Amino acid sequence: MELKGGGTVYRQCQVLESMYSMIALVFILVTCVELGDAAAVVDVYRLIQYDISGVPFGSRLATLNHPAASMHFSPAADLSRTVLMIPVRELNITFVREYIAQRRPLGGLLFFLPQMLNFAKIGSKTGSYQIYEMELLKTVLGELERLVIHANIPYPVYFAFEDDDINAVLADVKKNDATGQPTTATTGGYKLVVSAPEPKKVASPTIMNIQGWLSGLEADGDTNQLPTIAIVASYDTFGAAPALSVGSDSNGSGIVALLEIARLFSLLYSNPKTRGRYNLLFGLTSAGPYNYNGTHKWLRSFDQRLRESIDYAVCLNSIGAWDNKLWIHVSKPPENAYIKQIFEGFSNVAQELGFEVNLKHKKINISNPRVAWEHEQFSRLRVTAATLSELSVAPELLESTGGLSDNRPFVNDTAIIRSIKLVAESIARHIYGHQGKNIQIFADESSLAVNPSYVNAWLDILSRTPRVAPFLLKNDPLVMALKKELADHTDQVNVQHEVLDGMFTFYDSTKAKLNIYQVASVTFDLLLLLVLGSYLIVLFSFLAITTKGLDDLISLFRRPPSRKMKTA
Amino acid sequence: MTVFHFFNCAILTFGPHAVYYSATPLSEYDTLGTCIKAALVYLGTALVKLVCLATFLKVSENESFDPYQELLKALIGFVDVAGLYFALTQLTHRNISQNHKFQAVGLGWAFADSVLHRLAPLWVGARGLEFTWDYILQGLEANANLVLSISLAALGSLMWLRKNKPKTLIPIIYLCAGIVATMPSITSYLRRGLGWHLPKVVGFELFTSLVMAFISWQLFAACQRPSA
Repeated sequence: MELKGGGTVYRQCQVLESMYSMIALVFILVTCVELGDAAAVVDVYRLIQYDISGVPFGSRLATLNHPAASMHFSPAADLSRTVLMIPVRELNITFVREYIAQRRPLGGLLFFLPQMLNFAKIGSKTGSYQIYEMELLKTVLGELERLVIHANIPYPVYFAFEDDDINAVLADVKKNDATGQPTTATTGGYKLVVSAPEPKKVASPTIMNIQGWLSGLEADGDTNQLPTIAIVASYDTFGAAPALSVGSDSNGSGIVALLEIARLFSLLYSNPKTRGRYNLLFGLTSAGPYNYNGTHKWLRSFDQRLRESIDYAVCLNSIGAWDNKLWIHVSKPPENAYIKQIFEGFSNVAQELGFEVNLKHKKINISNPRVAWEHEQFSRLRVTAATLSELSVAPELLESTGGLSDNRPFVNDTAIIRSIKLVAESIARHIYGHQGKNIQIFADESSLAVNPSYVNAWLDILSRTPRVAPFLLKNDPLVMALKKELADHTDQVNVQHEVLDGMFTFYDSTKAKLNIYQVASVTFDLLLLLVLGSYLIVLFSFLAITTKGLDDLISLFRRPPSRKMKTA
Repeated sequence: MTVFHFFNCAILTFGPHAVYYSATPLSEYDTLGTCIKAALVYLGTALVKLVCLATFLKVSENESFDPYQELLKALIGFVDVAGLYFALTQLTHRNISQNHKFQAVGLGWAFADSVLHRLAPLWVGARGLEFTWDYILQGLEANANLVLSISLAALGSLMWLRKNKPKTLIPIIYLCAGIVATMPSITSYLRRGLGWHLPKVVGFELFTSLVMAFISWQLFAACQRPSA
């Protein structure tokens, strides 16, 4: 943040003074043009802009150049050229909903998120928040996000984090609004400027699926004869602000769990004595929010034999914020023998760990393009699969995909660790044939215990990395890191590049810099002109009287008419 | 709107020079040539000063006040006095009285200084969206500078051009000239050594310039008396 731009200009003047030169003058001309001299420069994150089958959604503009107002604006004011600055903690959701639903004209919207959610400064100030406040914040953010994502908003909408400068500006704007004057060009106040290029379509967004393969102990020859267990988590996110969609719970928790499970089984599989007679397939899939398009592509790329060798697949989705109940979502009826087996395995382990696992069955409608759970992509290809999640009902499209409110403070490490134990233990019992027996393979304090610092570290990294699939680079550092991590724990890793197909189109410019200028009003300048004019007149009169005398001054004004008289 | 602000600041910065020229008898005796010559001399002096500064001064990274460097800077500042001396004595002016000569030289000097130091920042900064008081203060500073330049020119003309002046006044004249010539160093010290803010510094400059102008005027009048 650049503070008090006036200071820099002032310093420039001093440099000039000390240099006393025309060369410095030219130099200053060059440098000053580059220097922004705004009261504050803030990082802002734009509301996502996307089309579904050509229907526009989100904020359709990026450039902003309007005076600021707060929520205390006078009711008669015309807001069509005004940016409303709204801190989320004071958000009146019905007001915003009304404004967006009635498509009333606005210059722009600027939401301020509490510093607590700033992933760049994670863990700095969460202590001051009550759990109640955090829950409230989460609900409000969730509501706001749902509202703005599904609306077509013809003006720019930005998100930023509160800080001292912002709060000072906001207090000032509120004070101005309280006096009842609308902020326009004639009254001064603050002007908010974002100069961003016109948002462009992201051309053919690529999605990357990362797959790791841990082969089991082969009995006689062919590995492919061994059955396979797949553990899958989708890793990308979607949210109101793509540059803020870190998705700690959805699906950061799933990724962390998958990596830790891969680590635990790699320990077991590195020793031939404990190497199971099952292959393990780990998949980090992309395009999760878009009907699990990445999972679909990934499964299609398998050959028939591999697909048939999959005994079952466990998909991990949002397992980082629950208390004592997890859900297993399946799309085959619970009476199905395989489903029964999986569920019993899981619920036995859960019972030992002291919590509950419930089974939820949701039929697939093949004609409906909506895929609510990742396992449904498996089921569509007749592979037995289940999703482990804390969510009890299937989320709607583009919901629970790691948006604004899905942040590190809302995720509970112990919940993830318990989930990891549940999945690892159940799979291990299945592999080693210990179903129904009370044997703890991944017991605490053993060499095979879940490592809390590993979980914590990965969760921190993921909670700091926005990962909306269309905006990820071809060789994104995150994808490379995940690939490397999987490579450390599995035998064979590859990244599959695919094109995201379907109805989604995305637009870029997700991040920008907001300049907040304190501007003087025209009235002030007029007044200044008057003062200066009278100053010069007084100076003139004073000088004329002292050097030429009063008569001269008076004759100065008399002369023209007298001349006219003469000519006439 | 911001061009308006630029216009205001420009009036404040350069207006008094024009007013001074047109309100005083300077305009009646057509001393514009002298003003322009003085301005050209100022340019030359500024160039010499730049060369001196570049040769003798280290570039300080921080904005701290280094007494030795500042002393050197003040000494180099006396190049100004030499320039003024040149402008007052060596230039062949048209036959104008001493009275008008020093005013014309001081005016040209101050105007050139304002154009060099204030026009560019004004053009770049005051047209920006952000409002600061800096440019208005800078305009006021230009006013103070005008008064100081004319005072210095007046004292210079007393020192170098007037032969029959009262002996008792000579040390006072030199003292005042010294003070006026070191004003840039004094303000620089106030700003960086004592950390004064711009409004306070400008206020101080305005005040001292008026005081020095009054003293110089009195001295000039005192020197005038015997001859009259």
